[in-house]
Amino acid sequence: MSDAQYFKVAIIGGGPAGIGVAVGLAKRGVGPVVLIERRAEIGGTPMGYRKKPGGVPTFVEWTRGRVVFGEELAGRLAKRLAHTNTAIQLGTQVTKIDPAEKRLTLLGPEGVCDITADAVVLAAGAREQTPAEKGWLAGARTSRISFTRHLTGWLERHGLLPARKPVVMGSDLIAYSAAAKLREAGSDEPVMIDQRRSPGAGLFERLFFRRWTRPDWSGGVTAAEIKGDRSAAGVQSSDGQEWPGDGVMVCGELVPNTELALLGGLAVELPSRQLQLARGQALSQPGWFAAGNVLRGFHGAQWCYFNGRRVARAVSRFL
Amino acid sequence: MTQFGTWQPATRGKVLYSWPRGACEEELRFTDPEQLGSEPYDVAIVGAGVVGCGLAYWLSQYELRVLLVDRLHDVGEGTSKANSAIIHTGYDAKPGTLESKLLRKAAADWPDLAARLKIPLNPIGGIMMAVTDEQERQLEAAEKNAHTNRVTDVRILSADEIREREPNASSDVRGGLLVPGESLGDPFMASIAYAEVALVNGVDILLGTGIAGVELGQSPGAPLHHLVTDDGHRLPARRIVNAAGLGSRRLADDYNGGAFDINPRRGQFVLFDKCARSLVRHMLLPVPSTHTKGVLVSPTIFGNLLAGPTAEDLPLDDPAATHTTVEGIRRVMEGGSRLVSGLARQPVIATYAGARCACSQGSYVIRYNDGTPGVVTLTGVRSTGLSASISLARHLIVGMQKELGLELSPDTAALDARPESAWPGWWRRPFENDATGARADHGRAVCFCEVISEGEICDALDSPLKPRTMDALKRRTRSMMGRCQGFDCQVPLAEIVSSHTGITISQLTKNGPGSELVAPGQAAVTA
Repeated sequence: MSDAQYFKVAIIGGGPAGIGVAVGLAKRGVGPVVLIERRAEIGGTPMGYRKKPGGVPTFVEWTRGRVVFGEELAGRLAKRLAHTNTAIQLGTQVTKIDPAEKRLTLLGPEGVCDITADAVVLAAGAREQTPAEKGWLAGARTSRISFTRHLTGWLERHGLLPARKPVVMGSDLIAYSAAAKLREAGSDEPVMIDQRRSPGAGLFERLFFRRWTRPDWSGGVTAAEIKGDRSAAGVQSSDGQEWPGDGVMVCGELVPNTELALLGGLAVELPSRQLQLARGQALSQPGWFAAGNVLRGFHGAQWCYFNGRRVARAVSRFL
Repeated sequence: MTQFGTWQPATRGKVLYSWPRGACEEELRFTDPEQLGSEPYDVAIVGAGVVGCGLAYWLSQYELRVLLVDRLHDVGEGTSKANSAIIHTGYDAKPGTLESKLLRKAAADWPDLAARLKIPLNPIGGIMMAVTDEQERQLEAAEKNAHTNRVTDVRILSADEIREREPNASSDVRGGLLVPGESLGDPFMASIAYAEVALVNGVDILLGTGIAGVELGQSPGAPLHHLVTDDGHRLPARRIVNAAGLGSRRLADDYNGGAFDINPRRGQFVLFDKCARSLVRHMLLPVPSTHTKGVLVSPTIFGNLLAGPTAEDLPLDDPAATHTTVEGIRRVMEGGSRLVSGLARQPVIATYAGARCACSQGSYVIRYNDGTPGVVTLTGVRSTGLSASISLARHLIVGMQKELGLELSPDTAALDARPESAWPGWWRRPFENDATGARADHGRAVCFCEVISEGEICDALDSPLKPRTMDALKRRTRSMMGRCQGFDCQVPLAEIVSSHTGITISQLTKNGPGSELVAPGQAAVTA
């Protein structure tokens, strides 16, 4: 196809990291730049955490030294993006990449099209591990086995609770924020279970969430099964301990969204699915970079934004 | 070539659900047997698994009044949904058995059947791999067995020949058996396609409707029986086919059916991400031991890689029959790694378990006029139901004609195929070919992992069986079946279903009442 539209830089993902890259490139006068976002709005994961009076703010804005709602933080970032000349393609998904040619295949409301670029930044974020991916959680596949993403969806968009007696699997910051949100919305005090011996969230983080939740903690669970017939009815450990409930939350332990890189032939480690990184967060093919939570582990929205800014520097140096 | 839009034919039959008010549209609710007319059914099939649906499809080719009823809220939702999705040649069946005969017939029919009913099928072939000396010695007998079953293209491969075909085969491989005729199928679409065509041809389908008992007719000759539903409705039928799978024993007690025992045999599976698909080219089968067929490693028609199953005998009605266990998954990984090196480092996206209908009286137990005139028991279709469904149905119809006096006059207006537009969207790949009839919502991806659009979801909701649960949608569209397992798309999907059907989000279920997506008893919210 010769009709592929050309951009200097293509950014895959319109969350904080992708916005950071776009803003960083604009400051350096690099263009034209396209930002491709598969959802209908810019802002990524934090956008799902709506601002509401009495709600639980869960996003740290280090530069202002305070904790805010994701929507506020994402909104501020989106405003910075609006001041740039970045072309934004919403509701558009990259379905295929050709790393050598730096060509992307897009599916959007207009159909399928290809674009090419001199550099591509993967800022596709991360998702929560499925029960099967955890490896220590088996059992029934019922309804109301929910991710934190579902919790924010049901709660923030529809005011609905995925569980009244929640059992939270996982204990990192995301798990605590889920517990706090559930509690604030009227659920019972959650039970929190993890394979780790002590909670994954740090002491200060746990102290912060104490205002809303003091989950009933059980650590060191090496194997557990979800119980229930049609909907989740709790969790049972391999040594017979039972935690009844009416919904199981599968929280945190992020997996980077590196499928495009993996299927496109960029170097990705298995089974962790982590990208192999060189200096400046460059990937295994020249002209390919990564920014934000697609790297590995779990980082706050603002960290991702500044990481994107830093990658913009590496990209402009490459160009 | 690629045709968009749903197949929305006029249906002569009715599809109804026994659901509480609000859980589906009012016109889909079964509240009164009069909705189905007062004429007694010529045949009522209890159990809408792949076997029951296949039978309904064949019966719909004749001028008969047929009812298909199931307690679950979609067709093919029990044993039929959790299997390895292999269309068997029957090379390893016990020669001379009904199972082997039906599998051989079905294998010849499948390519044409799949093309007519628009069931995705991929004839990739299989290799049975011997990884110990003892297993290697068994290969010759297995080849002989295959030839006795008239699967003549089966032949023995040397270790080198296998490595040439399967570069990632385990280094322990000693030799193997090439079975070129084994195919991959879509495990869900078979039941759905059979049932859709049956419905169009006039079969009534009643879902979410448990059968509490059978009222036996007393008159001699051809007595009129009644199926009694859990809600107490009576459904008149001259003939009843018990295709209730794991529930067949309980139903048989109601009509004095002969002795048989059902034991669910649990099979746990591990599903790997799409990057693992390139590891193998054929389906790799273990050499069976006396106890179990063993763990196979096979691509899926959807482009993933699958390992499993375990074989664990559980007591009847054990609620854990479809639960996975940490230990079971470990055994599947171990078994799979014996055939394929590098399997352990592939990312797993899901695990699941199915319960096969194992019968102590052997496989494929068919009894006409079992205990009561006009009643047929069909049970023990262990794990080959998908493969044999089409030949089994014809076998049964011939039997019913002979033993039950079923009169067969072909219905000249009956369909025996689905149109191009009935191909599932994931198979015809929206927008990627010269698509005709595509709407803008076919370009709005909802399920990002499988690239399934809002348009495909709406098409599925409008399809003939009017699926109304998230699981039913999942099986038709593949939404939520990708690597994120619904992380990104569950809530947006529920919103689409709610706005398309008017069902409130709080009443949407995974697989019927009791499986609401949010905690029950909350305010009614429509997207």
